[in-house]
Amino acid sequence: MLTLLSMFYYICLRRRSRSGTRGEALTSRRAVESGQRAVLPVSVEVEQYAKEVLDFSSHYGSENSMSYTMWNLAGVPNVYPSSGDFTQTAVFRAYGTWWEQCASAPPPFRRTPKGFYSQDYIELGFEEPVYPTTVEVLETYYPGAIVQILACSHNPFSQNPPTDVRWEVLWSGEPTKVLTPQARQFSPNIKHISFPTNLLRLEVNSSLLDYYTELDAVILRGVKERPMLALYKMPVIDISDLSDSEEELSDLGGPFRQGGDGKHQRTGNGYFDKLPYELIQLILSHLTLPDLCRLAQSCKLLHQHCCDPLQYTQLSLQPYWARLSDASLGHLQSRCTLLQRLNLSWTGNRSALTLTGFSSFMKACGLSLVCLELSCCHFLNDACLEVISQTCPELQELNLSSCDRLHPQAFTHISKLTRLRRLVLYRTKIEQTAILSILTFCIELRHLNLGSCVRIEDYDVVASMLAARCRSLCSVDLWRCRNLTDRGLAELVSGCRMLEELDLGWCPTLQSSTGCFQHLARSLPRLRKLFLTANRTVCDSDIEELAASCPSLQHLDILGTRLVSAASLKKLLQSCPRLLLLDVSFCSQIDMRVVQELCGLFPNVAIKKSFTQ
Amino acid sequence: MLSVLSYGRLVARAVLGGLSQTDGRDYSLITASYGYGKDFRKGILKKGMCYGDDACFIARHRTADVLGVADGVGGWRDYGVDPSQFSATLMRTCERLVKEGRFTPSYPVGILTSGYYELLQNKVPLLGSSTACIVVLDRRSHRLHTCNLGDSGFLVVRGGEVVHRSDEQQHYFNTPFQLSIAPPGAEGVVLSDSPEAADSSSFDVQLGDIILTATDGLFDNMPDYMILQELKKLKTTNYDSILQTAQSIAKQAHDLAYDPNYMSPFAQFACDNGLNVRGGKPDDITVLLSIVAEYTD
Repeated sequence: MLTLLSMFYYICLRRRSRSGTRGEALTSRRAVESGQRAVLPVSVEVEQYAKEVLDFSSHYGSENSMSYTMWNLAGVPNVYPSSGDFTQTAVFRAYGTWWEQCASAPPPFRRTPKGFYSQDYIELGFEEPVYPTTVEVLETYYPGAIVQILACSHNPFSQNPPTDVRWEVLWSGEPTKVLTPQARQFSPNIKHISFPTNLLRLEVNSSLLDYYTELDAVILRGVKERPMLALYKMPVIDISDLSDSEEELSDLGGPFRQGGDGKHQRTGNGYFDKLPYELIQLILSHLTLPDLCRLAQSCKLLHQHCCDPLQYTQLSLQPYWARLSDASLGHLQSRCTLLQRLNLSWTGNRSALTLTGFSSFMKACGLSLVCLELSCCHFLNDACLEVISQTCPELQELNLSSCDRLHPQAFTHISKLTRLRRLVLYRTKIEQTAILSILTFCIELRHLNLGSCVRIEDYDVVASMLAARCRSLCSVDLWRCRNLTDRGLAELVSGCRMLEELDLGWCPTLQSSTGCFQHLARSLPRLRKLFLTANRTVCDSDIEELAASCPSLQHLDILGTRLVSAASLKKLLQSCPRLLLLDVSFCSQIDMRVVQELCGLFPNVAIKKSFTQ
Repeated sequence: MLSVLSYGRLVARAVLGGLSQTDGRDYSLITASYGYGKDFRKGILKKGMCYGDDACFIARHRTADVLGVADGVGGWRDYGVDPSQFSATLMRTCERLVKEGRFTPSYPVGILTSGYYELLQNKVPLLGSSTACIVVLDRRSHRLHTCNLGDSGFLVVRGGEVVHRSDEQQHYFNTPFQLSIAPPGAEGVVLSDSPEAADSSSFDVQLGDIILTATDGLFDNMPDYMILQELKKLKTTNYDSILQTAQSIAKQAHDLAYDPNYMSPFAQFACDNGLNVRGGKPDDITVLLSIVAEYTD
């Protein structure tokens, strides 16, 4: 029997509603009526722009600004359908693989599941919870970065504390690279979920893109009443979803259930008994974490193998951020006594992890811990950092990127980690005294990231301290440090002779006329990465000095200067054979013709020229 | 007896209701803009409200109506910089700040400060300078908050008389206070005033008050009495008549600017300072004419 569906669209009301502090929520109502054999109720579709940006992992712009910052993703679009590099869009901090090529980048964690590509995320709250039918993302520059869209059951604007928070994946895909940088409307087919949502999360991966991706707005379309299954195609039931959502990481490595009768003592594992222990361990080392945990429940032999602490020297829980809880950490604890590298980035938000669970885990596993990634971990507080400082004496790498809810006094505990070599404090609220104290004691620092640390009052003093104490410093990220002057920079390059990477983007107080960039070039012959983004004083003499003194240069960004000519760039490209990245966006003397000429002469260099038309 | 009481109650209720209504109702500004670019370009809406090197914006938010004018300093043209870029970008940025609610109605200098800061956050290396005048009407409190940096400004007219006006800020003759972004190395040579140097004022407004916000192209060519004469012709509070009046004011100023024999306020001021000149002052003219009315959706 064929069922005929007839659909009528009515535009009942089109009204602009003024709501929210950022932009407006456009609501349009279309009544969808369908007739089957039985009369079905009319459901109304609601269309909304994002009301508020709630959380994100990084952005290009300055804190407290509306240029190139993530807050631009809320509200109505400002740029779409135009394409170009505009201030009114949301831009992430990085793109491509340039940052992964740097020495400051940590090696990837083993056992990362193949479907997990996410590098950055942003969470958006909408006004009304709906059952989503469509999610549209308006990308206005170098599209193709979105790899996952998720929906949350919790209403972020309700006063109640979050309980039973569920995240469903509406869509996931691989990172793509669209052939042109032009704007597009991205609207993948999303899964239909069983709960209403007004909290969406976009995860992105820009590694295939030629430049920063920029997003303008997100539109959520959905229905208020739970849709009858007949109105939509039957959702494909994913078997792994059924087992995953309930049992998996909420019960990670649950206690082994003894099956069958315990009377038989024979070790009847068949051929497995003939395999050397190390070989089974090698095989298991290729399994992802959930598979490893499930396998542990299959038989005693495999339980022994799967719980062997040698399988857990590296542990990345970031791909499972949505489902990680105190209980999961508790179950993993016993296996992680030899843990060396731990990735808890993005986990624990909305009360999923607490101080108790975290500190119990750290006490069990902290002794041999060398690397700890805690990017965007908003559950962290003063007490958590104190626990880290007490339980991880061997810690060499600590990443607190975008932990912007950590109180300034929490950072003082870091100075107890005297073995630290890599410290990332991007977008944190660390203050002057804490950073100076850290630099006094952590003298083995090789990589330091103080990007967008707006609470540090005097960067010259910080630079001076770095020069005095951290002689082995190899890379330092001072992106948007607002008051570093030529004095501080001179001390830094004189003291830290091993510097290879230096990010001084958007530092407005550095003036080329003081000779600071030329002095920098002469002092750092090993220089491989130099970002002077939006320093409007960079001039030909600086480029020529770099050409003369820094033959190992690989990445250079001189966005936005009017003073650099094509001739000096040619000299640079000739003298630095290893150059891979040169960003000359918004350099007035370098037009597209010059860029094309240089690309022709130096095909190995990716020359970036952004546009706004 | 009963009827007197019930009447009394009705009257009391009406009076009280009426009183609370007029106190509680929000005000708003009905605004029209018009202008002339100096090189005879008429008031074309290029890039959203730019007249020559002048720029302006009209924006509304939940709590306030905001207007702004900016007069781009023409001297930059001699150095290869388009003077209209700075003023236009400044005004568009301030408009966006207002629309997104990133401002406090009672502190318009904050809008200038944030707007100027945002200009520095632009990847594009902007150069240039301009004056700026911002007028904010707080809808609920019925107060007008203003700030003025340079020689643009505003008038408030009530009952045919000027009750408030802004003061010009000049460093020396024909050199007003200005926000600027200078090319590197020229910071010592180029005038750059801080947004905090702007003059601020706040005062109550009443229904029917007329607010005229304009660049110096208007005030240098039309003395107050002429402006008031034009404003007397404004009878109704609908947008079309406001636009008509704004157009006639701008046109008159434009005509006077090119009259070589007319003793303009600019010429008068020059004479007072020892320069023997006559005639109008050709300049970009931007006029924003607003009336305080009751707020309707």
